[in-house]
Amino acid sequence: MRILLLLTLLTFSLMAKIDIAVSYPYIGALVEAVGQDRVNVSVLAKGNWDPHFVVPRPSLISKVRNADALIINGAQLEIGWVPPLIKRAGNRKLSQGAFLDLSTKIRLIDGAHDVSRSGGDVHPDGNPHFHLDPHNIPLLASAIASFLSKLDAEGKGYYDSNLQTFDIAWKKDLEKWDEQMADAKGREVVQYHTVFNYFLQAYGIDSIGTIEPLPGVAPSSRHSMHLIDMMKKEKPCCILHDVYHPTKTAEFIAKKSGIRLVIVPHDIGALNDIESLEALFTYLVEAATDD
Amino acid sequence: MIDILAVPLFLVIVLVMVHAYFGLGILKRKIIFADLAIAQFAALGSAISLGFFHEEYLYELTLLFALLSALLIGIATRRDIALEPFIGMLYVFGASGIMMVLANSPEGMEHFKSLLAADILFTLEEDAIQSTLIYAAIGLVMWQLYPRLQGFFKELLFLSMLALTVTSSVQLAGVLVVFVLLVGPALTATVQKRWPKLLFAYLYGWSFSIVAILLSYYYDMPTGYFIVFTGALLTLLSVLLLSNKKVSL
Repeated sequence: MRILLLLTLLTFSLMAKIDIAVSYPYIGALVEAVGQDRVNVSVLAKGNWDPHFVVPRPSLISKVRNADALIINGAQLEIGWVPPLIKRAGNRKLSQGAFLDLSTKIRLIDGAHDVSRSGGDVHPDGNPHFHLDPHNIPLLASAIASFLSKLDAEGKGYYDSNLQTFDIAWKKDLEKWDEQMADAKGREVVQYHTVFNYFLQAYGIDSIGTIEPLPGVAPSSRHSMHLIDMMKKEKPCCILHDVYHPTKTAEFIAKKSGIRLVIVPHDIGALNDIESLEALFTYLVEAATDD
Repeated sequence: MIDILAVPLFLVIVLVMVHAYFGLGILKRKIIFADLAIAQFAALGSAISLGFFHEEYLYELTLLFALLSALLIGIATRRDIALEPFIGMLYVFGASGIMMVLANSPEGMEHFKSLLAADILFTLEEDAIQSTLIYAAIGLVMWQLYPRLQGFFKELLFLSMLALTVTSSVQLAGVLVVFVLLVGPALTATVQKRWPKLLFAYLYGWSFSIVAILLSYYYDMPTGYFIVFTGALLTLLSVLLLSNKKVSL
């Protein structure tokens, strides 16, 4: 009888994990690192998808509905799919504070200053791909730790100590990457879309052009020709290309200009062997320093 | 589970009713791709609002362009030309027009796509009810006014009501779902001989779309695409099985 009671209590305590829904895999990894045994994480979008668009499936609604809290990237990255999802899920907890928008914890770059945005920027708040600066990761982890402590006050000590462990390990990685990247300073790259701006800016690499003429606008012939001429003159180190846009134009430009094309992941799961945040940045660092 | 699916289920029941009716009409007129051309023009209207007016007059421009395409198709039906190629031209004109309009728009395609990323699964109750009211009004017009008109104006009314329907339903369910609901039930209904056409189209359309929604939940598949897949597959099979052999000359 006692064993039975113990078993029920044990399952109950196992069940009592808080369910956190997150929009992207990188957020999931951070929540798991900080929350570990006290949280269940469900990730809504896959890492190899275009983060701007997500195919709606019934399970997405269930995940948001059953979650105790939702954490999103914010800065309008999810504008096309999370707001309708939240509306349909009708989860009261989310409007009562169990909601975290990570972009509010970060200073965004590339913000649009004029409303007409003739310079071209999809996201008026600024570039939303901030998790690609490895120096931002500890800030995000700490924001997640205080969010979890607010939801689950009993676990505060647990979250704080996990955060500390994570920070120490991350700092070590960060020092290694900073050192490796020191040589890359002043290098020039071309991207498809301005996904990697945070990473590049963090290490003093210049993004001298994008294959899309304006964010979200498909490549045009004249712009591509300009880009090829410019690349022949400037000799950037490489073209950094995300995994979710077609590489046809980039391949053409690479061939004509003789500049190397590198496909780089933007999130966990974007490429098969990118299974953690460390692997993501290790890959990016290698891609940017490789000759 | 049921409250996640309640809105989509309600919506397909309504959509099948209005689309099966128009589907029979467009099959008879042999203008099957008219709805795609109209939807594309409606999207061009949305793109113009986005590209030139900062998303103002969105609804008005969308509707205006949908009606414009209906008018063009209406005029074409009065001419001695093959209709399908003409409608095909309208379609590609609309599709490329969107690219032209948005090519220099800083907000660009991403915002446009997110604006049009319609999925039946994400439809809100309010929108479903609002559209049902629009369809009810369209039904009333087709029941009362349509039989009283003659000639060109009768055709124009049919096409305008089709344009109105398609504009509203594409925003709810997306272009592919609308196409399969429009053509699938109507095509199968004209091939079978045992039942009244409209009744058969309703029963057939309801069956496949409801089963598809339930299965999409069970297997966690994208709901809209699953409806299209199921409807198209069933229609292809049943039309091949039910139809008679062509009488050779």
